[in-house]
Amino acid sequence: MFNPPVPHRHAARVLIVGGGGSGAALAYDLALRGLSVLLVEKGEFTSGTTGRHHGQLHSGARYAVGDRAIARECMQETLILRRIVPQAIEYNGGLFVALSDDEADYGDSFISACLEAGIPARDAATEKARAWEPALNPAARRAVWVPDGSFDAYRVPAAFLAGAAALGAELRAFTELVGIELRGGRAVGAALRGPDGREERLSFDYLVSATGAWAGRVGALAGLDVPITPAPGAMLAVKGRLTDMVISRLAPPGDGDILVPQRGLSIIGSTQRRADSPEGILPTDEEIAYLKGRAAELVPSFADAPFHAAWAAARPLAGRASNDAEGRAISRDFAVLDHADDGVAGMCTLIGGKATALRVMAEKAADEVCARLGIAEPCRTADFVLPSWRALGAFAARKEA
Amino acid sequence: MRFVLYVRNGEGYSELRAELDPAMTVLDALESLRAAAEGGAKPAVARVPHYRHSCHHGSCGTCSAVVNGLESLMCLTRLGELAAARPRKPGAAPEPPEIAADGAVIVRIDPIRRGALVGGVAARPDEALRAIPEWLGYLRPAEAIDKAELEGDPTRQATGEVLSGRAPERVRFEACIECGLCSSSCPVSVPFMGPAALAAMNRGRERGEARAEELLDSAAAPDGAAACERHLACSRVCPQAVYPGKHIQLLKNALASLAAKMKA
Ligand SMILES: Cc1cc2nc3c(=O)[nH]c(=O)nc-3n(C[C@H](O)[C@H](O)[C@H](O)COP(=O)(O)OP(=O)(O)OC[C@H]3O[C@@H](n4cnc5c(N)ncnc54)[C@H](O)[C@@H]3O)c2cc1C
Ligand code: SF4
Ligand code: FES
Repeated sequence: MFNPPVPHRHAARVLIVGGGGSGAALAYDLALRGLSVLLVEKGEFTSGTTGRHHGQLHSGARYAVGDRAIARECMQETLILRRIVPQAIEYNGGLFVALSDDEADYGDSFISACLEAGIPARDAATEKARAWEPALNPAARRAVWVPDGSFDAYRVPAAFLAGAAALGAELRAFTELVGIELRGGRAVGAALRGPDGREERLSFDYLVSATGAWAGRVGALAGLDVPITPAPGAMLAVKGRLTDMVISRLAPPGDGDILVPQRGLSIIGSTQRRADSPEGILPTDEEIAYLKGRAAELVPSFADAPFHAAWAAARPLAGRASNDAEGRAISRDFAVLDHADDGVAGMCTLIGGKATALRVMAEKAADEVCARLGIAEPCRTADFVLPSWRALGAFAARKEA
Repeated sequence: MRFVLYVRNGEGYSELRAELDPAMTVLDALESLRAAAEGGAKPAVARVPHYRHSCHHGSCGTCSAVVNGLESLMCLTRLGELAAARPRKPGAAPEPPEIAADGAVIVRIDPIRRGALVGGVAARPDEALRAIPEWLGYLRPAEAIDKAELEGDPTRQATGEVLSGRAPERVRFEACIECGLCSSSCPVSVPFMGPAALAAMNRGRERGEARAEELLDSAAAPDGAAACERHLACSRVCPQAVYPGKHIQLLKNALASLAAKMKA
């Protein structure tokens, strides 16, 4: 039974805008710290980037060479998530596979970087790797085992939302933030458009925009220039569970280099381009063909597996315009942008880098929110097993009754 | 190709006429139409009614709807399928598409039945899942045919992972994505837990869940397995080949043999 104690209830009211993984985990964290939370999401929960992500529970191995700290954080978070949302994770480990001598050589620095980051990567003889996963390309030169897994992009954040709801947080889907009221350089009120189209005004003590690729648009409601550009990435799913393990290319991170199994599907991703709007993004034929070719390099039978679906999700890219060549992907880390220096206090923007890191990202954002509100409560989200995502629907039904 | 979408909006329908690629899914069509309506005089949601979606690849179960009379996931139903002959209800013979006076293929989208309606065609299948106990698991062993056993994993200990009391090797999610299409299609009119919940219960027994007996107890309720009239619409519309009708029959069999044992 999910029933964590909440020692102190605080009057401070926080409005969270965005019901993706970031907003969901933040709502749970703040509710557990005893704050009064209202979360609004303009569509269904997780209908933004979160529900559409690739579904890889990152051990951090993918990032180890580039950034040990991020890799270490991923490892810690995957262990915590496997403990607090066990039923929404298909944990079967992963293999990084080299297909050339160069890639095989890269394996040495890859393994030592993983070990430095606390990720127990180890060489697996290629015959052994192929015995584990017979679908692997027989030309594999080297294989490295890592503790990667798959997770349900919808059910993990939904479990966080269910936890938040159980603690009294108010969660409203199909409710869009359409205006921000400023008073004396401070964000103090919101205009919300509910499911029936009616607008409502509401005041708050602090606002967090957890709106990912939409952060620029939401910032503009407060007259802010939040430099975020939507950058769609495509994914392709074929029918058939070709592997149980997550299969990645043993090479520096690139496009189409991760094959993630999930239920009866195998999914290759992803790519990256830029767009003017995060709405209605679709994968291109070129992206789909490219992904298919890349997947077949890792697992040749992918080429003949029947098509299931292709879709795209929008990354929030740092940079002002879709033609800004200076843009840097916030694809691994996350950012809390405080807007006090831009002339708007009482509000911050939280940009999530990885769904795997939703809990720790929310922890850091909640620390920041509490500091601004002068509340001293520790984060306890790693301490409790979350309720089932099914409790979210049950909770909504109870509330309507 | 020309399409006209009638999307349920309260008592009536919103009419959306557009030239669309038949390879597009119904969900992609709604998404594109909404994106195109952005920046107009009215909010985009006023033109394109509410709909639910999340994964866009048939894994979350949120985009369930009734499309031209048939329970469907909008993210896996292509417009081209709707421009060809297709059954208008579960198990019926395929019928040619309805064509409007201007030659557009008619696509009618209604919310699932027995759902909690939010607005438009957005309805949550809460009722179809209500009887599933919160403790019921969602992981099952993966079919590890011809695959060598995985070796000791140092991270398993850190998380204390267990599946049904056994040390897990390869796991995967249950096939059911909790979309509620089965309950929507079910013609039973007496109080009924519904196919999704009963299938989940029987899967729990098959997996050997520790509290399997409780599952059989729940299925024995008057609104449990006994209420099923074997129309089998559920098994026809299920996008995940769960065959809920089969699971209900297995529950009935288990209950019957339990009753026989009690008598003896
Ligand atoms: C192609 C791709 C593949 C990925 N694969 C993985 C992976 O395998 N593993 C992993 O860990 N991570 C992955 N990620 C990263 C992960 O998806 C993101 O880090 C994460 O989903 C971000 O969540 P979020 O809540 O910050 O954003 P979002 O999920 O986008 O949430 C923002 C929400 O705000 C809502 N919103 C916007 N404007 C308003 C408004 N005015 N009012 C109310 N609501 C509003 C939107 O509808 C949206 O739901 C991937 C990302 C991409 C793009
Ligand atoms: S049994 Fe099939 S139709 Fe019913 S909820 Fe599960 S996936 Fe959907
Ligand atoms: S959007 Fe997830 S099943 Fe269709």
